[in-house]
Formats: sequence, structure tokens, C-alpha cells
Amino acid sequence: MIVDGLVYLGISHFGYELDAASAITGMDGVGTDIAIAVPVHPTGADFGPVNDAVIAAAEGSAGRLIPLARVDPWDGEAAVLELRRAVLAGARGLFLHPSEEHFRINDLRVRPIVECAAELGIPVTVSAGFHLFAEGLQLGHAAEWTPDNAFVLTNGGQFNISGLGQFDAELALLNPNVHVQTSGIYREDFLERVVATFGPERLIFASAAPMFEMTYERKRVDLAHFSDIERELILGGNSARIFGIEK
Amino acid sequence: MIIDMHMHIEEVPSLGWKMSADDCIRAMDAAGVDRAAVMTLTDLPGLNPAGLELIADACASHPDRLYGFIRLHPAHLQLSKDLLRQATTDLGFKGLKLHPVSTLQHPGAPPTIELVRLAGELGVPTLFHCGDEPMSTPLSIAKTAAACPDSIIILGHMGGYFHVDEALEVAERYPNIVLETSAMPYPEKIRTAVERIGAERVIFGSDGPVSSPSLERQKVVIAALGETAAALVMGGNAEALLGLAA
Repeated sequence: MIVDGLVYLGISHFGYELDAASAITGMDGVGTDIAIAVPVHPTGADFGPVNDAVIAAAEGSAGRLIPLARVDPWDGEAAVLELRRAVLAGARGLFLHPSEEHFRINDLRVRPIVECAAELGIPVTVSAGFHLFAEGLQLGHAAEWTPDNAFVLTNGGQFNISGLGQFDAELALLNPNVHVQTSGIYREDFLERVVATFGPERLIFASAAPMFEMTYERKRVDLAHFSDIERELILGGNSARIFGIEK
Repeated sequence: MIIDMHMHIEEVPSLGWKMSADDCIRAMDAAGVDRAAVMTLTDLPGLNPAGLELIADACASHPDRLYGFIRLHPAHLQLSKDLLRQATTDLGFKGLKLHPVSTLQHPGAPPTIELVRLAGELGVPTLFHCGDEPMSTPLSIAKTAAACPDSIIILGHMGGYFHVDEALEVAERYPNIVLETSAMPYPEKIRTAVERIGAERVIFGSDGPVSSPSLERQKVVIAALGETAAALVMGGNAEALLGLAA
């Protein structure tokens, strides 16, 4: 079973978009069975309707899409309430995007939301690697709040075209609950080192479509030097375990 | 002919860096790459005093496969100019590499401009690391392009994760700029580059062997450039830049 750890659904305030039908067509094109789906940042920044839209899209996808709830920590207690509401409605994880919502991931405002996710028994996925908002060590700090709950970082926990982000990302991975996704990571040696150092259970295939291209992102995993057992975990086994997907 | 215009060879045990010419050749063979431009990860003069010899020996050991770019520190201007002359004139190096993040030298500052002008006079291109960090953005390197119109300037990574659109804009503005495809994650931007500045000014690179030439090559395949443009991007343009064209 191939699971794409992240696709964005909806029309983003920031100029990108993907609908559920197009996402599934793209998944079919690259052999992806299931994708973890998160809402985009909507114009107007009301996350309730976009959470509901992604949950509805998942309900209509015959199991192809697994919805996560996205909330804005600047909404304070209302963000926690929205997370609880969305989970009751069907969301199976929390998604945070520190860059697009302009908050620092280890700001104490975020902690009640992350702790609520742990209380609800749902994993946390964070759009990672953005300077000022979601740097490797900031992400590692936030992961420490709920050490027994899975904390998934997109983009290998880093964004740096000089390879300078990988060191802090590896320090974040010292937290056993931290997992990193493959999206956008050009350093094959980093992906292979995550598996060799921290184990194949810690690396997760994700396209982050439409930010990145599904076909190319899949090839990052296909062409890296992993064993068959490692690749099976990376391409789907790890997401299935973390998000409770039945094989 | 497939030519990778951005690969690295380095030996700095204190940094834990060791990637050999053989590592490059293995990655090239796996990817079906015929030739590659190779350079160190450190700047001369600096952490690896043997950097010039390391690249020269690698190229000598793999004739017709590896071609040297000398990576220099513009703050050591006179020594860097002497090394650039020695490398290109005596050792057959084919280009200059500058990494403003590691040298803390702004591309628009006089030492860098003087060094890049010399590269142009010697008939070799300058490959800049061009990404998202201060001093390495396309707008920073555009200062060099404006000041050195007779030097060919290659934007390695064509702007990285967040500055690709700016790389396209400065390439439209300055005809001496060439875009190199390594590491940046957007196949469609390669096609956009070909459409906006022409296939003659876009070149394939991998930043290997730590990134995968096989994967980076797929990025150009997915870009679906068409046979003629793809041939230029994957090797035709590099042949001319390296002085290998018949």
C-alpha cells in the first residue's frame, strides 16, 4: 500500500490549489493508494469551513483520502475547540502550518493545541523548515511537549539549498516521536542517513502536492538506496501505522 | 552527450566530508551521465589547502569524464586571481565556483566582481551558489551580472526553494546569466525557464554525488522540454561552456 503523507486540498489564499478529484487522478498516475489530506489556508482565514470541506472530500473518496484538521494558534482557545470539533466530524490528525499562519511552532500559544491532539490520540503534522517559524530545533522543542505522540515534519524538517538545515533536523530527530517526510529534500544522503541512523520507521514519503510535483517526489524514494523492507515502510507502512490506516 | 555541470569532490576529515572522484563516477554511471564539472565544497585558500590538487588529480584520473571548476575566496583577491590563472591556464580547469554563503563575500562587492571579470577574460564561466540565503539570492548575483557583462554567470540551483521566480527575472534582464537546474524541486520551472530565456541558457546539474544525478535527471525528463531543447539542456550547452564543442 502506497500512502502519500501530505496533499493540500482547496483554493489557497497564497495562490495554489488542488481539488479532491485532481488529487486522486494524480495519485492514480503515480500508483498512490491513499493520501493524507489537509486544508489550504483559506482567504478570510476561517478554518472551520475548509476543515469540513476536506472531511467531506475524504468521506466521498472511498477511503483514498485521510483528512487532518488545520487550525490557527492565533485563534487561541477557539483553535482548540475547532480541533475537537473537526476530530468529532472525522479528522484523523492535526495539521499546523507555522509559515502560512505566521506563528513560531514552539511559541507557548501552540502548546495547548499540540497537547489537545495528544489527548485525542491523533498525530501532529507540521509544515516544516521555514526560517523564523519552523526551524529544525524549534520543531524539536515543540515535539518535546508531547513525547508519546507522533510529530511529523514535512520537508525533512528543513528547507535549505546549501544543505545547512539537515544538522538541526537530525537533532530534532533525537526526539523519538519525530518523523520526517521526504517532500522537497534534494539531499539523497540525508534521506538515507535518517534511515541508517534513526531507523526506517522515521521516514515518510510525501509529495506535498500541489506545492511539489507528485511524480518527481515519488522518485526521491524510488531512486534512493533503501532495502525493500525499508522502502515499504517509507512508502506506506509508516503512515499506515501513524494514521491508523488498515492495510 | 549528458553533462552534469555541478558535482562535488572533497576531503575534509575535520568536517566529516569525504566524497571522491570515484563516488562521482559511480553516480554518473548509474544516471547515464557522460561528463561532469567537479569542484570542492570548501573555498581556496581555506580549510582544504590541497583543494586545487584534489580536483586536478580527479580530472587527470578520469580524462574525458571530469572537468575542474576552482572554488575560490574573493576576499583573498590576489591569491585567488593567481590560483584562477594557474588553474585555467596550466591545469585545464574549465570554470570558477563561488559560494557567497561560505565566503561571506557579497556578489556585488569589488573583490567578487574583479574575480568574475578575470574569469571572463580567461574564457571560463563562473558558477554561483544561488539560493535562498542572504548574499546568494538572484538579485544579489544580478549585481555581478550587471558589472561583468562579458563574463558568463551560472546561477546554480536557479534560486533554490523560494527564489526561482527571481532567478527567471534576472536571467531575462541579463543575457550573460545561465540557469542550472540542481536541487531546486520544481520540474515545471525548468520548462518555464526554457520558454522565457531559451533552451540555450539552461543547463543540467545535480549537486551530486550527495544528491542523486539519477533523480535530478528525472526532473528534466518530467519537465518535458521536447527533444531539441532537452538535448541542449542536458549537454549541448555544457559542451560549449566547457569548450568541448567541435
